Amino acid sequence: MVRKKLSSVFINSVGLIITLGIAFLIAIFLIFVLSSTPARTIYYFFIGPFTNKYYFGNMLNTAVPLVFTGLGIAIAFKSSIFNLGGEGQVYSGALIATVVCLSLPNANGYLGGALALISGLIAGSVLAGLSGFFKMKWGTNELISSFLISGAVVLIVNYFITGPLDDPGNSLLTTCAIAEQYHLLKIFPPSKLNISTFFGILSAGLVFFLMFYTHWGYEMRMCGLNREFSRYGGINVSTYLVMPMALSGALHGLAGGISILGTYHMCVKEFSFGMGWNGIAVALIAKNHPLGVIPAAIFFAYLDAGAKAAMLHSDVTFEIAAIVQSIIFYLVTAQAIYSFIKFRKRAPA
Amino acid sequence: MSENGFSLPLIHNTVGIMTPFLLAATGGLFTELTGMLNIALEGLMLIGAFFSVVFAAATGSLFLGILLGIISSMLVALLFGSISLYLKANIFISGLATNLLAAGLTVVLSFQLFGSKGVIRFENISKLPELRIPFLQKVPLLGDLLIGHNILVYLSWLCIILAAVVIYRTPFGLRIRGTGLSSPTITSLGLSPTGYRLKAILISGFTCGLAGAVLTLNLGAFVPNITSGRGWIALVVIYLGNKTPLGIVIASFVFGFAESISNYAQGAINIPADFILAFPYMITVSAMILYSVWRHYREYGK
Repeated sequence: MVRKKLSSVFINSVGLIITLGIAFLIAIFLIFVLSSTPARTIYYFFIGPFTNKYYFGNMLNTAVPLVFTGLGIAIAFKSSIFNLGGEGQVYSGALIATVVCLSLPNANGYLGGALALISGLIAGSVLAGLSGFFKMKWGTNELISSFLISGAVVLIVNYFITGPLDDPGNSLLTTCAIAEQYHLLKIFPPSKLNISTFFGILSAGLVFFLMFYTHWGYEMRMCGLNREFSRYGGINVSTYLVMPMALSGALHGLAGGISILGTYHMCVKEFSFGMGWNGIAVALIAKNHPLGVIPAAIFFAYLDAGAKAAMLHSDVTFEIAAIVQSIIFYLVTAQAIYSFIKFRKRAPA
Repeated sequence: MSENGFSLPLIHNTVGIMTPFLLAATGGLFTELTGMLNIALEGLMLIGAFFSVVFAAATGSLFLGILLGIISSMLVALLFGSISLYLKANIFISGLATNLLAAGLTVVLSFQLFGSKGVIRFENISKLPELRIPFLQKVPLLGDLLIGHNILVYLSWLCIILAAVVIYRTPFGLRIRGTGLSSPTITSLGLSPTGYRLKAILISGFTCGLAGAVLTLNLGAFVPNITSGRGWIALVVIYLGNKTPLGIVIASFVFGFAESISNYAQGAINIPADFILAFPYMITVSAMILYSVWRHYREYGK
């Protein structure tokens, strides 16, 4: 049993290393094609995030919301539910958290901050929960509905940020800044890394506990494996269409709220773009395991920070990261790669 | 006459605007019939949109531009299809990957080739030729609505008619439908379901490439993320059209109408632009929910 488990861990990690290796090779290839100073670009792409404390701390800070969105997606995928609305859920969570902070300019930092985060969480949870509810009630495809709802929500949030909530004091497309007492404590100056890092680690632990050591988690995973079988086993399967979706949305909303209180201190237009999609990538690399989400998120933050450093110091554009990301998407789900390794491993015996 | 002044141009526009939906849904119908939810339509369209306008500007020929745009889109479809089918990737994830790849690749290339990540105008592109048949145009109503569109609009009609014939009247179409209904049956006949799925994905690459070409060549410019959710709407169009060619035509018309109303509203009524952009998403998601409610009650009684 232990041996079997170890061997599956081995296969997964070898597969993952191959996947990430290929992705990096493609990144290097792209840089050679696109950049006129490839050596410089490659240096900043791969080493850039480690060159000083500021970059390094910010890289880790980028990973924090990705831990939340990754966990959200992992819960949904483990239950065989697709949540493609992460973008809208993060963004609306951020907006609601900002609005709560702005409307309570003099409240106690801890209470008001908690209230803001919880409101953001609820916003995300409701948005995603809706898709789960439609699925449960009428069988509406949650994959498409969550994407479309999120598509509309993103534009509506854009309207609020640039319209009624726009800060008249500056020409940037942002809301006003939230009050000082809501800012999360910085732990690695001069970077933006803050105590939300610990929230992220804590959440990963909690989700791990929920999924593997509770009754709910068990039933959720069973529904994910085989919904019909679970129905015959007496599990209330319709609950587990809504619950994973709502939890997933809650974690996305929280990711948005944390980014505002910890990093941005104001809701900037389109600041969260990519967080939802990256969450999917993070969950996939982690093979939907809650504890695997943390290293996967750091890896993704590294990719992001590398692309940003390369853009700043060289002549390539940031979207190279999107191409590398898509390669990782392609390869990480390609089951054939993993079964090939399995096959090779058995062959000599 | 006063009424015609408003409603006829609106419907005339609708016939033009529905074309990308119709084309993408035509290809998507094939993949849907083989039992795959093809969320890569969006990305394939974006690839077609970018490459058709770039190649049209580079070669100076609309025809070559469209052709190369379609080929690019089919190549990406081939990548998507081979990874999903032969490397056994989860088709949703590889579909997402395709959309991401398209978004990333178009921006990277436009930055590399034109030094800009924004709107790129191509001055040297001639307009898509329009069909003008003077004596047919005199036919009241029909002449106003159906004549005078660009040729790609008529090509899209040809595509859907061809699709209907292929799906219902040829062995190939029968096997496509068979793959979706019961792939073991296809296997037992000595045929390969995977092969039919790949062909369906390639067909969707073809029509999506064309759909993308419609978007950019009409404009003579490339706008980042010009597809803005149209591929997803096309997916819903397939559902609402009950997976039949005629149904798809009707559903595309409905979405085209919604979009042309929102275009009209943009000029006429003072609504924030973001709401108008959100309108197609909202219409689509509501239509999809209503459809599933209707289906639910039809299947399970009250």
